[in-house]
Amino acid sequence: MIKIENLYKTFYQEKNESNILININLHIKKGELIILKGISGSGKTTLLSLIAGLDRPSQGKILIENDPISKLPDLFASQLRAKKIGMIFQHFNLFEHLSVNENVTIPLIPSTLSMKEIYKKVDKALELANITHKKSLLASRLSGGEKQRTAIARALVANPDIILCDEPTANLDKENSLLFIQTIERLHNFGKTIVIATHDPLFEDLKLKNRIIPMVNGQIVP
Amino acid sequence: MNSNFWNNAFWHFLTLQLFKERSKHLTVAIISILLLFLLSSVLFISSSIRFSLEETLEAQPDFVISRLQGGVAVPTPLSWSDELLNIYGITKVTPRVYGRYFFQPKEKSFLIVGVDFFEEQSQKNLEKLIKNIDLKSFLKDPQMLVGKGVKEYLAENFYKNEYKFLTPKGKFETIKIFKTLPKETQLIANDMIIMPIDLARNVLGYSEDEVTNISFNVPNPDEWNQINDKISALHYDLQIINKKEVKKSYQTLYNYKGGFFLILFLIVLMTFSLILYQRYNMVYSSEKRHIGLLRALGWSINDVLKLKFMETLIVIISSYIIGVFMAYVFVFILDAPLLKNIFLGGQNLQNSVEFIPVIDMATLSSIFLLYALPFITAVLIPVWRVSVSNPKEAML
Repeated sequence: MIKIENLYKTFYQEKNESNILININLHIKKGELIILKGISGSGKTTLLSLIAGLDRPSQGKILIENDPISKLPDLFASQLRAKKIGMIFQHFNLFEHLSVNENVTIPLIPSTLSMKEIYKKVDKALELANITHKKSLLASRLSGGEKQRTAIARALVANPDIILCDEPTANLDKENSLLFIQTIERLHNFGKTIVIATHDPLFEDLKLKNRIIPMVNGQIVP
Repeated sequence: MNSNFWNNAFWHFLTLQLFKERSKHLTVAIISILLLFLLSSVLFISSSIRFSLEETLEAQPDFVISRLQGGVAVPTPLSWSDELLNIYGITKVTPRVYGRYFFQPKEKSFLIVGVDFFEEQSQKNLEKLIKNIDLKSFLKDPQMLVGKGVKEYLAENFYKNEYKFLTPKGKFETIKIFKTLPKETQLIANDMIIMPIDLARNVLGYSEDEVTNISFNVPNPDEWNQINDKISALHYDLQIINKKEVKKSYQTLYNYKGGFFLILFLIVLMTFSLILYQRYNMVYSSEKRHIGLLRALGWSINDVLKLKFMETLIVIISSYIIGVFMAYVFVFILDAPLLKNIFLGGQNLQNSVEFIPVIDMATLSSIFLLYALPFITAVLIPVWRVSVSNPKEAML
């Protein structure tokens, strides 16, 4: 499903070279649940953004179902992202001035779907994320847990095969973090491929079959 | 996925964004409306003045000669008109009597123009100026035709229908108002009184063989220079002015005033564009994050640019329509208070000129281009830069 080969990411700042990712090689199979574990600055978020095609690697490649997302022109990379990847962020990243409902429609706006079809999909995603009852509320008026559920609904609305989560529980209390984990378990049961970048110990106790990949200083620890 | 971006969902989201972020757009729209209002008002006034000038000057004779001694205008001998008639190519020679009449104690003055109504050309000119004028009843009594400014001034300070002029001989000459001159001629004829030539001589103190100047036409424009030279050589104290020069001097005056405003506008527009550019260039963190987020959610750079372009275009077009409409009402319905005084001056009579609605597509397109291009550029370049370079913003 996701193939990462000889991946490097280097940033340059005033002639200083900083290696964020060093020789990453990783194969993620369809339906797998991957936990990228590591402290802040270990390169987890950069790796996720490269998988999502939001940034380009300095060296190496990333294939999503054999499509080299890291080398595709912007238009095709965006199309691939819209179809196959759903993202959940640490800070939820909702449009605060829009309602829950409206936030969830955003990934489908550039599609060819009509508003009627879009709302059908939105309703389904809201139901899956258990946030239907708040759908008319402005995002700015939601609690942390509700914001997270809205973000989950937005990530699911295009029915993507891959879900990338960047520190999804960093801004949640324990109760909401556990609720999030339950939702992830449910999605995993639906056969979604899930990659979670986190340093939250709660994920170590997952009952589900998962693979923990520790990262230190931009490298995968064997 | 992007093959048909211009579908319902896009427009739905666009209107939603505009509505939900209306306070952000409203500030920009209000400043834009004010700028457009100012620019459109100045251009409308200029176009209207140019139109009125052309209309009025078109009916004027091609040349006017007068006598100038020691740099001061003195009465012109009537006999000069016979000399003009002997020059081949000259037609419609018309001796004219006019001068300023001062009203005490307010120190206002009107321009009195005497016309020989028994002369065929003068009759035609007058009929051109005032359609359906009944010359017989006009000439029956001592009567005059007055500009709108004169009419208002007399009604306010003296009598509505007549005025008693004090002649240089110390006698009173009562003259009735026959009609008001049409509004198309107001730019030049606002403070004008037209009366039969003999009455004008009485009021202004001219003798029977004197006139103020003599007008004539030269139908072949190729002969203008040649005739100009011939006539200048007739008398050392003869001054000759042609219609083109008069037109040019008026146009220079109003273009100067219009140009002054245009430069002011451009400075303001540049400042506004710079502020906009800076605003979007700094792209405050929320905007940066929004763009990055849209990209993370599957929007391409083109999709983001289309959204921002359409948002900007809607703000631009609505501001343009409102600004131009407000300027139209201000200039053509309210008669441009304040601005009118700057353009026309108000030293003598209160200038009661009404602007005739003249709107040409060139003016409207110039306004749009002068405003829209810097605006769109100032917004889209920074947005494009953020879309291209910062899709990761959403991840941070």
